[in-house]
Amino acid sequence: MISRVEVHPGRYHDSVRLMQASKALQGVEGVTDALVAMATELNLSLLADMDFDMDSVVGVGPNDLLLAVHAENEEAIAHAHAVLEEALTPKMVRSGGMNAPDAKTVGTAAEINGANVALLSVPGEHAYVEAMEALQDGLHVMIFSDNVPISQEVALKRYGAQHNLLVMGPDCGTTIVSGIGLGFANAVQPGPVSMVGASGTGIQEMCALLDDAGVGVRHALGTGSHDLSEDVGAISTLQALEALDADPGTELIVVISKPPAAPVADQVRRVAAECATPVVITFMGETTLEEGAGEVLDALGQARPTYGSWEAPQQEHRSGFVRGLFSGGTLRSEARHVAGPQLGEIGTREEDEGHTFIDYGDDEYTQGRAHPMIDQTVRVERLAAVAHDESVGVVLMDVVLGYGANANPAAELAPIVERVVDSGVAVVVSLCGTSGDPQGRDTQAKALNDAGASVHLSNAEAALYAARLATTRTSS
Amino acid sequence: MSDLGQLLDTEPVVATAGTDMLATSIEQQGSAVERADWRPPAAGSEDALAILFADDRMRDANEVAIKRMLAVRPQLVDVSVARDVFPSMTERTFLHAGPPLTWERASGPMRGAIIGAMLYEGLADDPDDAAAKAADGLIDLSPCHHHGAVGPMAGVTSPSMPIAVVKDAAGDGVSYSTLNEGLGKVLRYGAFAPEAIDRLHWMDEVLGPVLAATLKSTGPIDLQSLIAQALQMGDDGHNRNRAVTSLFLREISGALIDGADAPLGQRRAVYDFIDGNDHFMLNLVMASGKLGSDAASGVAGSSLVTVMARNGTDFGVRLSGTGDRWFIAPAPPVDGLYLGSFTEDDASPDIGDSTITETVGLGGLAMAAAPAIVGFVGGTAAGAVTRTLAMYEITMAEHPAYQIPMLEFRGTPVGIDATRVVRAGVRPQINTGVAGKVPGTGMVGAGLVEAPMECFVDGVNALAETLQ
Amino acid sequence: MTVRAVETRSSPVSVRMPGVASAALRSELSDSHASATVVGSASHAVWLLLDGGGVVVVSTRDATRLPNSVEVAADAEANVFGSIEHGSPATVGIGQVMLDGLTIDAVRWWDPRPALPTLDRARIAESIVDLPSTVDGMPLDAIPATDSPAGLVAAASMLIGRGEGLTPEGDDYLAGVLSALRLFGEAVGDRRLMQTLDATSLEISSLARQRTTTFSAALIDHALKGNVALPAAAFLRAVAGRGDIRASHRDLLAVGHSSGPALAAGIVLGGRSVSSLTGGAR
Repeated sequence: MISRVEVHPGRYHDSVRLMQASKALQGVEGVTDALVAMATELNLSLLADMDFDMDSVVGVGPNDLLLAVHAENEEAIAHAHAVLEEALTPKMVRSGGMNAPDAKTVGTAAEINGANVALLSVPGEHAYVEAMEALQDGLHVMIFSDNVPISQEVALKRYGAQHNLLVMGPDCGTTIVSGIGLGFANAVQPGPVSMVGASGTGIQEMCALLDDAGVGVRHALGTGSHDLSEDVGAISTLQALEALDADPGTELIVVISKPPAAPVADQVRRVAAECATPVVITFMGETTLEEGAGEVLDALGQARPTYGSWEAPQQEHRSGFVRGLFSGGTLRSEARHVAGPQLGEIGTREEDEGHTFIDYGDDEYTQGRAHPMIDQTVRVERLAAVAHDESVGVVLMDVVLGYGANANPAAELAPIVERVVDSGVAVVVSLCGTSGDPQGRDTQAKALNDAGASVHLSNAEAALYAARLATTRTSS
Repeated sequence: MSDLGQLLDTEPVVATAGTDMLATSIEQQGSAVERADWRPPAAGSEDALAILFADDRMRDANEVAIKRMLAVRPQLVDVSVARDVFPSMTERTFLHAGPPLTWERASGPMRGAIIGAMLYEGLADDPDDAAAKAADGLIDLSPCHHHGAVGPMAGVTSPSMPIAVVKDAAGDGVSYSTLNEGLGKVLRYGAFAPEAIDRLHWMDEVLGPVLAATLKSTGPIDLQSLIAQALQMGDDGHNRNRAVTSLFLREISGALIDGADAPLGQRRAVYDFIDGNDHFMLNLVMASGKLGSDAASGVAGSSLVTVMARNGTDFGVRLSGTGDRWFIAPAPPVDGLYLGSFTEDDASPDIGDSTITETVGLGGLAMAAAPAIVGFVGGTAAGAVTRTLAMYEITMAEHPAYQIPMLEFRGTPVGIDATRVVRAGVRPQINTGVAGKVPGTGMVGAGLVEAPMECFVDGVNALAETLQ
Repeated sequence: MTVRAVETRSSPVSVRMPGVASAALRSELSDSHASATVVGSASHAVWLLLDGGGVVVVSTRDATRLPNSVEVAADAEANVFGSIEHGSPATVGIGQVMLDGLTIDAVRWWDPRPALPTLDRARIAESIVDLPSTVDGMPLDAIPATDSPAGLVAAASMLIGRGEGLTPEGDDYLAGVLSALRLFGEAVGDRRLMQTLDATSLEISSLARQRTTTFSAALIDHALKGNVALPAAAFLRAVAGRGDIRASHRDLLAVGHSSGPALAAGIVLGGRSVSSLTGGAR
């Protein structure tokens, strides 16, 4: 039997609260006796009667708080004092009638709901301070914002790595943790596959392909588009990889990245090779997301499916170049990778001649506007212009569904698609979405298909299809 | 090993700052989210913030500083005389409220109080004579804060004045303040009429000695305990001190009745004086605060605000991590309620060291505890609660002893963090009295003021320089 | 999107709210519509009995997630179930639960089966060494006889229906034991125990249907598969080394009136059983 008496000078609590605190001790294992009271003469004599050491309370008075505990062991004492502290610490009050002002920083917001993840989309130049505070508070951080200086990104990620906290981003579009999507994310079924991705749309396309193949996703940790650069050195990707390897619910890991820096890619491969969990690596520029998904299915012992597609009723179109109008950077680079062998040179800027695949999610086209996955104005306008551009024979465009994306993209696009198809141009849509997405994936596909577009759930297949249309023209 | 804690075992709980769309899309997934109403930090603080948040130094320093601030146990131990307690004080040294000041720049009430104190000390024949001599440099002005002291309103403290001595029972700190004169035409509001001077003489002849003798009999009086109880009785510790004054009177009444070596008439006068002055304890609450403020000063890297003080011309702020530097901005006007026929045109800009109460989690920060004075904040008790709730955003801790019944006995917000002020764009809320701008007028009202943002921006920048 | 309960009453149109469904309800929610009846309603939950015999609980965010819960995005305070009466009809299926005036879209899944890492038996014993495995009034002698199907059924038979209320304490205790046997047994690779559980599942399940409430019997069915309430999942994970044992134990004890303590004690007992078995993985 051991005991501890704590005196908190000048800490006043009313007797009701002290009674409640004593009550909270009743359930604590190993505690045999306790006194929680102001140090009045009466209570001091009680303390003496309970055989506590009175030396520790010399000179205390009725304005001092006594916490005295007898218990079987040190652990129980510590636990009891923790319970008392908790019982005597007033709870945050956020009662509506009192008009509690909103939190002004993410740190304060996190205190209110006990968050373990801070999701930041403040302007890039201000993201560092918010993120650093969140990390210092012990939160994982997702930074949706871009334009964060690379030195700040490195500093944040190093700090996170030292403290077992994940920094997702900056420029991290997509993360899914335990089925909850942050940023642009698709609704997924629970399943054995987890991802690490330095590419938002890369993660989304992988989710969409696996969903169509009936494979669920457990986690998809975005790490930001610069994570596999030489400066950053894949700090977050390696952390996420290690954590997913230790996650008992993850049976297979997919690593996705925009084209990585070569030495960094090698390092990721080395770490992946040491994982106990099988890892499929899908680096853009080397392979395709569809091939990555295929390897996942092979590893799980499932057949590679024929991904969903809705063929256009009208196959005839005029001859001309392929115009790619993308909102997802990774989808654009996969499409270039797939279509390149057939089309040859493919430009990436609007002023380029010949086949051009443009990423309208690039900074250049988003000044003062929301991302084209939300605000389609620029793409709608470019699509409409194709009708009058005799050099174009085929349009290839992505439509990304999921949380965070435009609520009904097909409604805006379908009338324009119809006009463009009527003008003699073939429209091929790469529809990136899962069956559970809030927009209704199949409804969206049907609306676009009814307007005359060929719709493919696999971006690679859409690109291949568009390239084939352009190179094997059926009629003029 | 990097396992990311429990991140991958449970559903994430998310807090957001930035575009609302990201929070909404989490809610669409049937999950709760807490949003921050984020705004960019005050202009000019961005680079400094990036330095201060780059590592744990500021956070660690703040932990030390706030712990020190909250660890003090202020006790009233004695009433002495200014010339005896301030070692560097000469017969021509006058202490004053706020940051350093010259006669030339002094406001009306400050000049009035200096004139009054010169008359009281016999250094001038009449007000005009006093003003002329002060302008000639006869008086050495020095901030109370530079001497471990605080003074309400003008805070003018001259050598003959009785001084309360407050000691830290948990450490070795000492702080000082004058004794409160009451309301109306009083020196600290800049009045120098004969009744104000006569009262000062009575205070050093009767009040001071009787209280000193009484304290010998009662022993040290635990001020923190009195203040804690008073907050639960409707005081804020700045604009309302009725409960704490009553409690104090209870503490000393027995000893006062017993004798204190003074004639009954004097003892009765002392009793009546305290009984008739609801603000008697303000100065002692302030001295208690000064003890916490001094204990928390000088922690390298800390952004804790240790001092907010005004002299009627300037508003000054000091931070724990920037030593003795003052960060200054023009004293703002007070948004107040006015006595009798006075209006805001009669008001002097903000003045006094009494903001030390806000610095230690009282006054405007504890507004929710004082429904009786909600007239200053738009008239509703809910409004007072909102004011206090807003202050938790910019403070480091919740006071372990000072609690607010209406917030389920939550501790008052305490320990203003300059970085949180500039980030949240929320300025500390101050309850204060208002002095007339014409020297000699006295009190004209009471109200609310917010500390100027520039002081905090400058402080944060200076702090960042110390960490580079 | 925030849907407020007040709108329910002012408008005859059904209010739609997002919900989070247990992955154990996937077949109930993805099949065609099935009719159901409200068999209980409170501020924090509505209990539905499907015509086919299954049980679905619609609960608020601040209620305990059960392995057959669909959680709506609201707290009990919002009183979203205020107008739903006992005995009123409901429909479950195609991703929705339709109640009187309230439609819940199952927009997301949560997994009631905690993922545990590979374990060794000693580790389990060590984790729970100082935690109680008994609750007052439960017969204990039969329980550890888990390595024979007959022993397990006999133990279940002693516990099922013992106690009072919607989920009698004996049922909770049994559910704790069964879920621990299933999950820990799997984590240590005890094939014989898995076979024992598989061999007795049907019998225990039908015993439960005869001898206790429909609601409680459904929870026993889930426990046999390793599907448990959220706080029980956290405790199971902590025993397996992923989380704070003390905190998760305390949280589990706080669930319900007697349910939490009975579940916790059952899990501890199940854990002790698994750690003392020699297993079939040799």
